[in-house]
Amino acid sequence: MPHETGTERPTSSESAVYEGLTANGFGPFFGTPCGVLAPLLSLLETGADYHVVAREDNAVGVAAGASLAGAAPVVLMQNSGFGQSVNALASLVVPYRIPMLLVVSMRGTPPDTTTENLPMGRLTEPVLEGLGIDYEYLTGEGAARQMELAGSVVKEKRQPFAFLIRPDEFAWKA
Amino acid sequence: MTMTKTAAVAVALATAPGLPTVFTTGFISRIGAVSAQRNHFYMTGSMGLALSLGTGIALSSGRTTLVVDGDGSLLMNPVGLIMAGARQDLPLIQLVLDDGVYDSTGGQCSPGRSVDLPAWARACGFSRTHTVDSEEGLEKTLRSELENLGAPVFVHCLVTADTTPPPPRVTDHLEGITARFSEFLQPQT
Repeated sequence: MPHETGTERPTSSESAVYEGLTANGFGPFFGTPCGVLAPLLSLLETGADYHVVAREDNAVGVAAGASLAGAAPVVLMQNSGFGQSVNALASLVVPYRIPMLLVVSMRGTPPDTTTENLPMGRLTEPVLEGLGIDYEYLTGEGAARQMELAGSVVKEKRQPFAFLIRPDEFAWKA
Repeated sequence: MTMTKTAAVAVALATAPGLPTVFTTGFISRIGAVSAQRNHFYMTGSMGLALSLGTGIALSSGRTTLVVDGDGSLLMNPVGLIMAGARQDLPLIQLVLDDGVYDSTGGQCSPGRSVDLPAWARACGFSRTHTVDSEEGLEKTLRSELENLGAPVFVHCLVTADTTPPPPRVTDHLEGITARFSEFLQPQT
């Protein structure tokens, strides 16, 4: 059990995810900013090979190029941007079997009740299933084990894989 | 002076042989696929993402990468210019074959007649932009840029649509393109 003292802080969820990503050789990282992912993006900005991309499907395209060159790239996006990226995944990543890790925040799912995000909140999992991309909800507690699994899918099985992030997994508040 | 799209592809491949090369969606991929080279990636879907794909290849491999794009593809998604143009150290040549039409869907006019594509590239940070309209001009431009590639290059290449029927579709075995191209890109040990 982790213990708290006056000087130590419990490991935050975003730190555990960050550690898991870097410990398993993932990178480079391509992200389009998202409030839910902001704490993780801050860590990547300072400590990793991180690039901001203006639009999510372009991030998928750049990551596909990095993957062809032998990297294990990660694309970080909100699920609204996942909607934007469906064709890039459906006509490039999946049929060409280009491995990469997607980290997708789940706006429009509890506790996020913003109306404009509800439809994509409902659609994200069915679309991933339709694409044939395996996914799991990522948690700080499970990150070490989950990142190892993702590493084996992306680097050994050579398949794309997605982690979904609940809106309140890091510090986001409705 | 005019040159067809097929002639422009032939000049580009003869002048820049062996580079990692991405071909955009539609007839440009079909024209490229006739030669079926291991350094070629034929992007049959995901229209608009050829430059982004090439950017990722150049970024991660460090190798000079050629993107053979089209006017319709670039107009569909010009966002790739932002990332490529921002990186002055990116070894990439973006060659846009502009025939003013969507050739592979029946030749409908593209809405880009009033768009200054090289100005878009400059606005995104490309310091080296060219417009060419002949085989000699294209060859000379590519040759001189390849001699000393110091920044990403944008070449606007005015072409005419081919009048001969297009080559057959690119193979259905798309995973095979990935495997062959990835192997080509592997660092030599």
